[in-house]
Amino acid sequence: MTVLITGLGVLSCLGAGTDKFWAGMRAARSAPGRAADPHANMAHPLMYSVPAADVPSGPAALGGSPLGQASRYALAAAAEAVADAGLGQVADPTRVAVVVGTGMGDSGMHEQWHLDGAPEGEWSPVFSPAASIGGWFGAAGSNTSISNACAASGFGLSVAADLINSGEADVVIAGGAEAYSRVALGCFNRLGAIDAERCRPFDRHRGGTVFGEGAAIMVLESAEHAAARGATAYAALAGAGWSCDAYHSTAPEPTGEQIVRAMYQAFDDAGVKPADIGAVVPHGTGTQLNDVVESGSLAQVLGGAGLSMAQVPLYSLKGLIGHTGGAAGALAALAGALIVSNREVPPSVALGEQDPECPVLLPTQAVPLEGSAVLVNAYAFGGNNVSLVLQEVES
Amino acid sequence: MTVDLVVTGVGVVDPAAGFDYKVELGKRGYKYLPSASQYLLAATKRAVADAGDALATVPEESRAAAVGTNCAASALHAQMDRTVIDADANDLSPATAPYFSINLFGSRLATEHALKGFNLTVTSPRVAGLEAVQAGGRSIALGRAGWLVAGAAEEALDPAEPGADTAETGAVAIVFEPAAAVAARGGRVLGRCVVRTAFLAPTGLTPDLVAGVIGPVRAWAGDVPVRAVVDSSPVGEALAAAFGPDTTVVRAGAGCLRPMAEVAAVLAAGERALVVTAAAQGNVAFALVTPGGN
Repeated sequence: MTVLITGLGVLSCLGAGTDKFWAGMRAARSAPGRAADPHANMAHPLMYSVPAADVPSGPAALGGSPLGQASRYALAAAAEAVADAGLGQVADPTRVAVVVGTGMGDSGMHEQWHLDGAPEGEWSPVFSPAASIGGWFGAAGSNTSISNACAASGFGLSVAADLINSGEADVVIAGGAEAYSRVALGCFNRLGAIDAERCRPFDRHRGGTVFGEGAAIMVLESAEHAAARGATAYAALAGAGWSCDAYHSTAPEPTGEQIVRAMYQAFDDAGVKPADIGAVVPHGTGTQLNDVVESGSLAQVLGGAGLSMAQVPLYSLKGLIGHTGGAAGALAALAGALIVSNREVPPSVALGEQDPECPVLLPTQAVPLEGSAVLVNAYAFGGNNVSLVLQEVES
Repeated sequence: MTVDLVVTGVGVVDPAAGFDYKVELGKRGYKYLPSASQYLLAATKRAVADAGDALATVPEESRAAAVGTNCAASALHAQMDRTVIDADANDLSPATAPYFSINLFGSRLATEHALKGFNLTVTSPRVAGLEAVQAGGRSIALGRAGWLVAGAAEEALDPAEPGADTAETGAVAIVFEPAAAVAARGGRVLGRCVVRTAFLAPTGLTPDLVAGVIGPVRAWAGDVPVRAVVDSSPVGEALAAAFGPDTTVVRAGAGCLRPMAEVAAVLAAGERALVVTAAAQGNVAFALVTPGGN
């Protein structure tokens, strides 16, 4: 079954909305700032935050449950995606599912309670962005929160496609959301994994990553459902591959064996060959080992098909909007969908000096998309790997 | 896209009955693991043993895990946050710092048992344990792996959190394998557990919506005893009421552990039953548990 992406919604340091996101991608300019948190006692309290003017002011609660910033980001992006898809009222809400990947959920709200005191009342779950979207839209199908760290929404989009392919849903509102968390930023500081300057994947002098906030929500639907209501698509979510390193809690397995396996699995699932890949949106975090292992894995996959690394451009999204944690896979997929639909690979933010151990092609000028598909990678603590293939939709 | 998955092993860890990681897991290498991870590892170890210790016959890339948790990180995160607020991130323990990420609580399973197929973490309120069974099983059917441990693990909430008095603690792990593979190795089948999930929006909780969700489930499950793990929220009460007055109501706690414990109990008791659960936020899940097999 063909799974189409028919609606996009996004919030990031570039602002609110898909138009601003694409314009920001093409401009390739950004910089992190100090987190707006006087209690962020750490060496590098840097974030690519959502601009204050674009931070949703509400809702504070939904269905009696308090909502944190990640849920509000997810709701804002979902509202845009649903409107963009022209979804409107659906005939059977049990055929509409929701899947959201998030690493920290509404942890920020609970962290604020450590300063202000927690409210009285019933248990308030942390991982509620998916439920928030379900409650807002009235979707009565499966409603799933996936939390595979920085690959959460990559897995989430894949699960969303599974729901359609298995016949459990016709439409899935799916993506990822992540907001500032003092705990996450503090722990990454403690692990020595924050770059003091900016997020600069594949740079020789990179010092780690820099977190970003954001949400990317998409409307996925079966081709049949989309055709029946006359919807148009940005791209097809054509395939996915999963694997696990089973190696280390935080470090990638150095040979990239399972990363490569996930990519091949995604190609097989999509029915494409490496030569069909016109661009890659890599996981590319700016952490030392990740970028080297991913570069080597891409070289292996492309080289295995007789391609050189100089033939397939990468689009380094995290260099622009930071590492958005559990939302990163969805933001990368949304960027990939825009690349496919616009037939253009925007410029990556220029590096100071590219790491010779990462010999990937990072154009600093926009280039046309060659090939029919874009590969999106997302990796995570625990050795979790997911690759997605987004493919051009024939009109 | 269907595979007849059967349960071949079950492990339950209830710390209230006593728990010593050194006895369960070994003296070295587990001391700095958060307790929810220790519970999950121990429950999985028991489940794998219960399944006949046949994991060695399964290729590493065919082994997978799906883990549900809601609150495993609550107390640890609160402790970390107070350290950052009152002192500095440099005062955090480097051993536990990676556990800001909730999926780390289940990640040790992968290294311990060489689970290279996938290691999925689901966190939907209250239904995450049952959802692990569903999402993991769906992925097995899609061919991503051929052996699954699905589990739930929780640790007590930070005492300052609302609902802390209802916190759950412990772990349940269930091993699933394709029936054909179990038959081929002459393994023992404990039963089957098939899960469906849905959502009842708290703000639109009409009788029509509840009937639209519950009706197909009742038709699917047939006339079986129902055990409802619910709280006193409108969604919980609507779900329990929809299954009628004979429903056995089990008070839900803060977390996703109790529904999985009910599944384990039904498998042990030997009578087919439907375990249902709901969260105030709207998530609902239904596990049709059929004990017995070969």
